[in-house]
Amino acid sequence: MVSDKAAKHEAGSWRSLAMALLLAIWLQSLPWSGIGLVMRPDFLLLLVLYGCLHHPHRVGMGWAFALGLLSDFQDGVVFGQHAMAYVSGAYVMHLLRLRLLQFDPLRQSIQLLPVFVMVQLAVLLIGWLAVAPPSGWGIVLPAVSTTVLWYGVALIIQLWHGKGMRRE
Amino acid sequence: MAASGQPMFVRGLGATSRLIIWLLVGLAMVALDSRYHALEGLRASLALVTQPLRHAARAPFEMADEIVGFFTRHRALQSERDTLLQERAELHAEINASRDLVREYSELRRLAALDSRQELRGVTASLLYQGHDWFAQRITLDRGEKSALRAGLPVVGADGLVGQISRVYAASSEVTLVTNRDQLTPVFIERTGQRGLVAGSGRSGLLELRHMTVQTDVREGDLLMTSGVDRVYPAGIPVARVTRVSRSPANPYLRIECLPLAGIERDRVVRVLMPVAVEEKP
Repeated sequence: MVSDKAAKHEAGSWRSLAMALLLAIWLQSLPWSGIGLVMRPDFLLLLVLYGCLHHPHRVGMGWAFALGLLSDFQDGVVFGQHAMAYVSGAYVMHLLRLRLLQFDPLRQSIQLLPVFVMVQLAVLLIGWLAVAPPSGWGIVLPAVSTTVLWYGVALIIQLWHGKGMRRE
Repeated sequence: MAASGQPMFVRGLGATSRLIIWLLVGLAMVALDSRYHALEGLRASLALVTQPLRHAARAPFEMADEIVGFFTRHRALQSERDTLLQERAELHAEINASRDLVREYSELRRLAALDSRQELRGVTASLLYQGHDWFAQRITLDRGEKSALRAGLPVVGADGLVGQISRVYAASSEVTLVTNRDQLTPVFIERTGQRGLVAGSGRSGLLELRHMTVQTDVREGDLLMTSGVDRVYPAGIPVARVTRVSRSPANPYLRIECLPLAGIERDRVVRVLMPVAVEEKP
């Protein structure tokens, strides 16, 4: 009985993760252009880090690496560039997990800004070493929009089923 | 000490070791991809997987365009039709004149025993996906191998050269834009006929005309067109307009900045040019 329920819960959570993945790829494929494209949040990174925070037994570095490869493909850059950056993001998330779970969405997202910036800088550094010097510092901008998006997503999910927060 | 029969390391590898392993895998992939181009199969399968999602993401916007277009005012359409009719009449006159010129030109070329110009046909393709352009100025089109596209073909927009196809998948293809840092385009200055090479700068909206000595006659506003020297691009496609010419005393060459004419932000539809048939010459 109990195991059946657990299995159901397990399957449901897998399904919602798969849905979130499809949604992330879909959002990324929207016809962004101009300033919207420059500011476009990194939906896949958000998904990876959110998974690392709330489903650490399912989403780990392997998933981070796989979705990083997908992100590499989407941007048409050399394979491994985003993959390595996402894996380091997942690692930092693993270190900060218990601390981050203590905070409400706003504080959580503020603390995550440096993580997002770090991941973008890792992308920049790896691309720099592997291919060519980058064109400008615009690469850091998505970190800001991803942070804002994290706040939105965390808030909505918290309102939905009171998850992601343990207030004293 | 762990009790007998109980594994000492329950959780397997630690996080740091896993991080290091994945980073090594990543480094290996970077090397395989950038040095040996060994991962094109992975790219092709990812293209296959993401294709439906990309189409799904475009669909609502295309539909919205159509709906907005449906409600365009009747009056606006009429005036547009009038302008187009007038333009058509003018163009017809020009075409008649140019037909005569083409005939004369080809006769002269035959007389001079030169190769005839290669005939081209175009395949229309629309923009399927555009990624961030920090490292690779690339776009994805919704036509691929099925439409007989192959790597190396030139891609033009309404206003000028967009770029060159660099990767072809089953039903999509990747275009390297002229602004890509590794992209070189042989051009000539329309006003003087001076040949040169345009290189991408890695930033959208900026090209550089390289290796022009300080004596070269080049001014702001000069139009650059493909010269056809490399046999990749047909001659006479507009590429860019010169926006700034400057020289530094340390450099024997001029620094010439140009603005690419094709606006990939504006054009949603481009044309891929391909030769009609390759004639074998004895």
